[in-house]
Amino acid sequence: MALYDNKHYLLSHIRNSFITSDDSGMCEVVMTCDNLARQVPVGKYDCYPNVLEEEEEDAILAHSFDLSSDLQFGLRRPKGRMERTSSVAEKKKAPKMKNIKWSLPARPLTSEELDVFFPMYDIETVRRENLGKRVSLLTELLTKYPNLPENPFKDYAKLDGNAQVGVPIKKYRIYVTMLPEEIQKFPMEVSIVSSAKVSDLIGLICWKCSTEFSDVTLKDDVDAYRLFIAEDDGDVDWDFPCLDSREVINKFGFSHLAVVDRESASHVPEESYPLVIETKPRHPVEPTSARAQLQREEDIKKFRGQMNALEAPLYQSFSVHIVNKFRVKTEIYLEISGEKLEIVPVIQPHFSSARMLSVKLWGRQRVETYSMDDVVACELTEHKSNGRSIFMLVHWKVKRDRNECETGKFKTKDFESETSVAVEIVNKVNHILECRHSSRRQEYITLRERKSHRRKAFLSPR
Amino acid sequence: MSGLADQLILATGGYDHTIKIWQANSGICKQTLPHTDSQVNALCIAPDKRHLAAAGHQHIRMYDLTSATTNPVTNYEGISKNVTAVGFAEHGQWMYTGSEDNTARIWDIRTKTFQCSRIFQVGASVNAVCLLPNQTEMIVGDQSGVIHVWDVRTDRNEQLIPETGASVQSVAVDRDARMMTAINNKGYCYVWNLTCVPGEPAKLKPKARIPAHAPSYGVHCTISPDTQLMASCSSDSTCKVWDTEDFQLIHEFRHELHRWVWNSAFTADSKYIFTGSSDHTARLWNLETGHMEREYSGHQKAVTAIALSDVQNVATVPAS
Repeated sequence: MALYDNKHYLLSHIRNSFITSDDSGMCEVVMTCDNLARQVPVGKYDCYPNVLEEEEEDAILAHSFDLSSDLQFGLRRPKGRMERTSSVAEKKKAPKMKNIKWSLPARPLTSEELDVFFPMYDIETVRRENLGKRVSLLTELLTKYPNLPENPFKDYAKLDGNAQVGVPIKKYRIYVTMLPEEIQKFPMEVSIVSSAKVSDLIGLICWKCSTEFSDVTLKDDVDAYRLFIAEDDGDVDWDFPCLDSREVINKFGFSHLAVVDRESASHVPEESYPLVIETKPRHPVEPTSARAQLQREEDIKKFRGQMNALEAPLYQSFSVHIVNKFRVKTEIYLEISGEKLEIVPVIQPHFSSARMLSVKLWGRQRVETYSMDDVVACELTEHKSNGRSIFMLVHWKVKRDRNECETGKFKTKDFESETSVAVEIVNKVNHILECRHSSRRQEYITLRERKSHRRKAFLSPR
Repeated sequence: MSGLADQLILATGGYDHTIKIWQANSGICKQTLPHTDSQVNALCIAPDKRHLAAAGHQHIRMYDLTSATTNPVTNYEGISKNVTAVGFAEHGQWMYTGSEDNTARIWDIRTKTFQCSRIFQVGASVNAVCLLPNQTEMIVGDQSGVIHVWDVRTDRNEQLIPETGASVQSVAVDRDARMMTAINNKGYCYVWNLTCVPGEPAKLKPKARIPAHAPSYGVHCTISPDTQLMASCSSDSTCKVWDTEDFQLIHEFRHELHRWVWNSAFTADSKYIFTGSSDHTARLWNLETGHMEREYSGHQKAVTAIALSDVQNVATVPAS
């Protein structure tokens, strides 16, 4: 136990505090005398343990009684995980730039030193040696590879952010799906000037691939590739359409992207633009009599109905809003074809704050795909006063339970759009459903009938 | 193969504050080294083939070409103006510079105490410096048109003035110490025969005066390693190659985009020449056919300095 009236303790404490808090590294110069604590005569009872035993010079710090011998005293930072991981990078940077200021030597050189620092070379020896130096490594390489194949992506190399100083750049981690699988998992770090376009980034990636992995064959055109958003583990996020190659890269804030061959990405809708099929109405010859006109209108009506049924399985995309159970609307594309129905969210480069909030609250709308066999009903449910309507879509949602058995239930989704569009969608879906005879639909119809029976039975007076 | 490739170093520097290291045979830029706050006036690869010195405004920066970091390892400072020339002694003990503060200097790059530092003061801004192959005499060309021959051991110096009032822009001596050449801002090239006898100052005997680019600005001149050719670069957007026997023009390299040609470098076998010009590009020309072989594009501004090392290390062991 150390007490404050213990001379040894106090002397030792002061000494060690001084050493540990000195960050100039000069404490030894100032501390000219030896350890005072050791010079104080030791009484029978006031001896502080170990004061006398320690002789070694390096024990100075270990000798501290209550202070830890951390030389970083006062500068200590918590060594978090971040710091530890970055320390590897720091080690790389470790050789810091040395600054050397011009100065002249304090004294003139002796003649021996002159011979050491300024040896005079014999010209004849130099000339003899020079004869052996007349072989150029470059010429060797040039004769070995006389015709260098032109790299189609050469011009993109200039956009490399690492190759320029003082220009704003953007850095990405790119997963290149064209590479062999074992390399594919490691993202390629690409930095590009921020004024570049998406197609430029694809070009730069191709350039880097062609220089780094000479055994990978690439298509000669940046148009053959698409850039997708990727997860940080390298999985391509197929739920999103690819980035528009004409856009400026600066617009997108994603850090992980994946380059995909356009052909292997063809199952994903090309860019996020709705495909609208327009049919131009022809100008019919005006019928002469009123009766003929009536007849004609009747015909056209019938004909239209048939046409709709015929055209129904054709792919068509509609811009509508999906309404979730909290009545929050999200803009989506409803893509309907004879085979499937897809819900694709509209990617907006700039989220409004309200939208951000809704994304935070309700989660981002994901791409959902349903086979037409699973879609069982579609009907208008509500006409609003503002010329918009709500329609409902019922589909079978597959679920897997614990035993990997497929179960599922019918789910309802509500959409809102302009009344005309809603009517068109409902007609289209119903036409498709009529053409197809799926067991799910039968199941749904019987279920609904049973329900309505039950309700009737419940409502009917006993 | 990789060992060979590493000994082949091509570096270019320019007004865009960067130094680029190229894969000379493919034209691919391997690395871009930032040269912060200053343009690159001159580049030189050290005899160890590991370090690259870059002369800029008020400093000389040394880069380690083998390290992963692109930042300079050493910054030499203490010059108040532009450093216009930089080079190394064969034995690697010191480096020499010329600068616009009217001095040529020798920097001790081995010891921290500057044991062998030297300074040579002249009357005008120094535009060009080169070291004779005997490693003890330096040629210093200045803006007032004086060429100084400075013996670094004894500090003795001699002067010659090829053309009064014409600034000496560049000086060069061939590796065999047979010839010296200089180019001035009037576009004239001067050639001297050089005799080096141990213990005596180098003797220079005037040999030729060529109106190489007159009246355009002469920028740079160099002699091929086999002493057969001489190249001159100029503001007239050409690099001209001359026969050193009869001083006839052999090639005139001009690219439609060429603007000022700032620098040139012969390969060790005198078969190719690199040029760097204001159109942001360095080029490789075949001296036998006169055709352009490669282009090195990537700089954002003029390429003003080129450094080439294409000799195998085995052959560069200094004389003992």
